[in-house]
Amino acid sequence: MTAQTVPEVGTPASSPPQTPAIELAHVARWYGNVVAVNDVSFQLGAGVTGLLGPNGAGKTTLLHMLAGFLAPSAGEVRVLGRSPHRDPSVYRQIGLVPEREAVYPFLTGLEFVTFNARLQGLRDPEKAARASIARVGLDDAMDRPIGTYSKGMRQRVKVAGSLVHDPQVLLLDEPFNGMDPRQRIAMMDLLGQLAAAGRTILFSSHILEEVEQVGTQILVMVAGRLAASGDFRAIRALMTDRPHMITIRSSDDRKLATALMTDPVVFAVELTPTGLSVQTAQLGVFRSHIAGASRWAGVRLLEVVSADESLESVFDYLVRR
Amino acid sequence: MGPWAAIPEIAKVTLRQLLGRRRTLLLVLLAALPVLLAVAFRLADQTDVERFTRRIFDTISMTILLPLVAILFGSGAFGSEIDDGTIVYLLAKPVPRWILVAAKALSAMAVAILLTGVSTALAGFIDLLPAGNDGVLATEAQLLAMVVGSACYVSLFLALSLFTRRALVIGIGYMLVWEGALSFMLPGIANLSIRQYSLGAAKAVYNLPLEEARLSAETGFLLAAVLVAVSLSLAVWRLMRFELPGGSD
Repeated sequence: MTAQTVPEVGTPASSPPQTPAIELAHVARWYGNVVAVNDVSFQLGAGVTGLLGPNGAGKTTLLHMLAGFLAPSAGEVRVLGRSPHRDPSVYRQIGLVPEREAVYPFLTGLEFVTFNARLQGLRDPEKAARASIARVGLDDAMDRPIGTYSKGMRQRVKVAGSLVHDPQVLLLDEPFNGMDPRQRIAMMDLLGQLAAAGRTILFSSHILEEVEQVGTQILVMVAGRLAASGDFRAIRALMTDRPHMITIRSSDDRKLATALMTDPVVFAVELTPTGLSVQTAQLGVFRSHIAGASRWAGVRLLEVVSADESLESVFDYLVRR
Repeated sequence: MGPWAAIPEIAKVTLRQLLGRRRTLLLVLLAALPVLLAVAFRLADQTDVERFTRRIFDTISMTILLPLVAILFGSGAFGSEIDDGTIVYLLAKPVPRWILVAAKALSAMAVAILLTGVSTALAGFIDLLPAGNDGVLATEAQLLAMVVGSACYVSLFLALSLFTRRALVIGIGYMLVWEGALSFMLPGIANLSIRQYSLGAAKAVYNLPLEEARLSAETGFLLAAVLVAVSLSLAVWRLMRFELPGGSD
């Protein structure tokens, strides 16, 4: 398996060279015989980068190494030019939103963010905390104990805590978990603003659409390896243009097969005992054509099922390429 | 702001964490037991130092209350944060690791000393005041044993909680088997018993009528100090190397 050859994230060819905020060189991490991250290299500069991969791909392990909570078994991790492992002073420049939901339930939102500000040694911790809470839109709930917060609110207060010291690098592990669509959009806007202000933001997700909406750059991890990295659109095209298998049942499968064979986006049709098995490289286009094709053939569609739509199958395809 | 300023902040959160748990209420009830027994002894006019020391202080306060309270708070100071993942909010801060350990240890010791100390002082004064100066000195000695014991148990099990998630189970086993049985039967392990350090240190104030207290005051203090220093140093060392698991990813 090799990473896709698309431009390096954060350092597009047209932009002037800059010192990357995050650098990984041949990084691996294993637990006994289990390899969680295997030979991963990339560099990130300012901007939002999505770290995409199915559950178990090694995203959290990678983020924990970047946050200094895990030492790489091999290779080198550098954040702002320093190794983050065993160097607590690096946290003046790093903000971290962990995946786990737990936040001190007995503290109010304001107390929690102020606690973070005090441990960062800020001069006016409460003022910084109020400003950070305002950024995530939690003003109305900041005096309530976090134990009474919804999942989405807990995510936002975690983000407020991680932003309170205005870090240069922000690492977020599945930050959109539990957020409703409105909260998601607000958080995506916030990340966009931070990126525009020159911050380096890396967030993980296993949901393609989340990454699509906020990350212009993307890292795809599969089974501990970097399967692809670079511009989101290029990788999205790889994902959507892969061969798709669709099974169809209709009132006359043979007539429908004849009609589908004339469609240029279809490259294979097979009659099976239960219906038709169709292969296409462009799933979206095929979906828009299928109704017209069935009308033209005078056939009634009974069932159209995409057989390999799971994100895992998309990742598998990328790995196989 | 120097790193010291983080200690009260972390301590405040730790105290709320330790005191807010349901098990703390059970410990308060356990701490009330010596006081209730002292009241009963006083009403029965059994106010002598030896009887109180053997039946209430040694049997309940020293053997059950002190280790249970201090092990629970010691192992829970970091342990509960490791279990629920909130440890990340401490580790991801530019705070020296010895400050984190100091804040956690001081908080757990304060709570353990408060609970065991108030119980011991109240019980002692209720039952031993009629015994005159001996009664007061015996109570002060018992209080000192609680302070020394709390510091030792908390330090040891706080450190252990950074090495294993079974610190509490190991602590309860230590309390029952090592301190509860072996330290009585095998005089040779006095140098490896927090109970012995505590009873030894108490001799600096008053010679409690317990023949199984084998160490001198000096040895008790010295070994207790060594245990606290080594345990907390190990805790700092471990926290500097502490690794969070990669989770499901």
